[in-house]
Amino acid sequence: MKQFQKWLLPVLFIVLLLGAWEVLARTHIINGALFPQPSKIAAEIQSVHTRELPERSLLLKHIEATTYRLVIASSIGILAGIVAGLVMGISPAIYRFFNPLMTALMPIPGIALAPLFIVWIGFGNPTIISLGGLAAFFPIAYNVTAGVRSVDPQLVRAATISGSTRLGIAFQVYLPWAMGYLLTGVKLGLARCWRTIIAVEFIAATNYGLGYMIWDAASYLRSGIVFGGIAILIVFYFVLEKGVLNLLEAQTIRRWGMVK
Amino acid sequence: MNSEPIVEIKGVSKTFTDSHNNVHALTNVDLEFWPSTFNVIIGPSGCGKSTLLYLVAGFETPTTGQVILNGEEVKEPGPDRGFVFQDYALFPWRTVLGNITFGLTNNGWKRKEAIERAREYIRLMNLEGFENAFPHTLSGGMKQRVGIARALAYDPLVLLMDEPFGALDAQTRKYMQQELVRIWQETKKTVLFITHSVIEAVYLADRIVVMTARPGQVKGIVDVDLPRPRNYTGDDYLEVREKVLSLLEEEVAKGIKDSLASDNTLFTD
Amino acid sequence: MTKDKIKQDLINLFPFVVVGILWEVIVQLGLSGIKTLPAPSDIFRSAWSLIWGSNVLFHHLLSSLYRITVGYLLAVTLGIAVGVLLSLNKTLHMIFSPVISLLISVPTLAWVPVLLVIMGLGDRTVIMTIFLGGFFAIAYNTMSGIEMVNQNQIHAAEIVGVKGLRLVFSVLIPGSLVSIIAGLRLGIGYSWRALVGGEMLAAMIQWGVGKMIYQARFFNDTAVMFVGLILIGISSTIIDQLLLRRLERWTIEKWGVVAEN
Repeated sequence: MKQFQKWLLPVLFIVLLLGAWEVLARTHIINGALFPQPSKIAAEIQSVHTRELPERSLLLKHIEATTYRLVIASSIGILAGIVAGLVMGISPAIYRFFNPLMTALMPIPGIALAPLFIVWIGFGNPTIISLGGLAAFFPIAYNVTAGVRSVDPQLVRAATISGSTRLGIAFQVYLPWAMGYLLTGVKLGLARCWRTIIAVEFIAATNYGLGYMIWDAASYLRSGIVFGGIAILIVFYFVLEKGVLNLLEAQTIRRWGMVK
Repeated sequence: MNSEPIVEIKGVSKTFTDSHNNVHALTNVDLEFWPSTFNVIIGPSGCGKSTLLYLVAGFETPTTGQVILNGEEVKEPGPDRGFVFQDYALFPWRTVLGNITFGLTNNGWKRKEAIERAREYIRLMNLEGFENAFPHTLSGGMKQRVGIARALAYDPLVLLMDEPFGALDAQTRKYMQQELVRIWQETKKTVLFITHSVIEAVYLADRIVVMTARPGQVKGIVDVDLPRPRNYTGDDYLEVREKVLSLLEEEVAKGIKDSLASDNTLFTD
Repeated sequence: MTKDKIKQDLINLFPFVVVGILWEVIVQLGLSGIKTLPAPSDIFRSAWSLIWGSNVLFHHLLSSLYRITVGYLLAVTLGIAVGVLLSLNKTLHMIFSPVISLLISVPTLAWVPVLLVIMGLGDRTVIMTIFLGGFFAIAYNTMSGIEMVNQNQIHAAEIVGVKGLRLVFSVLIPGSLVSIIAGLRLGIGYSWRALVGGEMLAAMIQWGVGKMIYQARFFNDTAVMFVGLILIGISSTIIDQLLLRRLERWTIEKWGVVAEN
């Protein structure tokens, strides 16, 4: 009910805005070629959907390509980030060596690396997925490291005295302890991975992907598809954040009473 | 006492060093503990009694000297010892059952057998009905029951307890003391128990080791030969209490000078 | 104290030296397996010729700095203004704060194709992208910061007759500076990414560090790309340390409002 109230006004506002936009563009008060009205955006997106029907929906194909890249890249980034974070968090020597390197590399935007990766491993999925994975990796590794380093030493002692191995302690004590940090890292990492994938799709994708669809449309000045594409990006990320991430949080650290 | 000591502390000193200075926590401690006895180590705050327990646990290594457990020198922590922490140190991401099985599954127990064993200790600790609760939903007393069950479940030779009831309110504390005596009588473990409450020490111990203020040394040992169950009032009880107190008093005075003045729990609780 | 600091700097520098030497050796021995991986010495040579030979490096850098200055300053001004406005008016807040939190999720560079359609492929598009990158983060943080300002501080100001714009500048903004500065930092990060990406994507511009990296692709000149990447890394660190860190030290740390982690 509260959620409903919270969203009522903004939704109403957006509906009103879209209505006004529709009217203004149809009456040529604003330029419909630059700012196509919502009905035209819907029609253009519909045309992407139907272009290659009945065999398949081109729109779904674009969404699938981006989803596939996001899933693979973020999985790689999360796994690598967890391992790196555990190692850096547990060993002070490794931390001292790699932390300055990581701090220096982290702020470099993924897209700046795209030309380099295109030269090295070519257009398409190799470059897009590598850069997406790299984008996810840094915030996750960084946060897991911080989490592991904050561990309550008593818990480590409790585990060592009952005979746990080092590997056992890494996954049974350090990792669950760092779960809150891991989730923060995954949130940041997914956001960066998502941004990077869309951006790199602009210049490195060869036929499919939401980024490719938007960029391709822009170069033909198909503004309807561009605007529609942005709307799809918003919905896509909204579902990802509200659906996947919040569920993950509820299942772990909230259940364990590790957040206030 | 009978037979061989199970824990021997031989000429142990421990010095902590940080970038600026050295802290001598323990100097030249020699102690022996016999199987199935209840030993309480008491002393003013900062006397190194917890350090002593950490050395037996293997969390720290002595600067000089040796800790011998069951004939072998202690080099690292291991499941021949159980440890109960003052702040419980339960794993928040594991249920009560999961915390108790932790030491079992990590020592090669099959899951099913581990759960069966854990259930025994849940019964022993009166924790039935809370098997699937997460630690943050439990009271302090309940948490420490889980902590004790976790430490006992894998059947260690020695149970090390570091001010286990220090964070509990007075009422719960009394109750936990009674419970601990009952459990000790059932399991017959060797217990090394740290406290700074004289009342607690005399209620629980077969033998009380009194430590000096820093650097920690053994000030004296008081054997407590009172029948159980004990109460907190009888003449013989008060007599032992006076003995321990008189040993402690001058050390506490020193300890107060050592800035740890606020330690009023020593006499009152 | 300063001796410790120098020691710490040296410790931090050590990994870079090790990696640099290892990298050089691996490339020189031909062990890398990637033909187009330049050695640090190649990158250095390339940088040298970009600076002294063709003299273009400064031109690229200055173009980029010009764009980020304009775009980011716009984002700071409008971001703080909108943030203040939204925090003061309940209705505006209820309408726009969900809208902003939705728009924040749009990858900054995804605005480039939109702007490209609306205003072409030139400088304006890049600057606008930089602006959008910083704007949302700054507006959002300003808004949530002001909402958390201690009510009693506001009352204390109101009772002596401070209100309106003076209240904003003397209480609300200083009181929410922790959050605003966090927003400024986030914002410069986004703006910086937007700058590099925008320069790559906007076809009609010729200068800029992003452009330099992008153009190097046509010649497979990876050494120039590395020069560009290093330049980006250094510049963003300098901006963060010299401007924002200093701002932080002069204000919130001095006031003891926050212990920087």
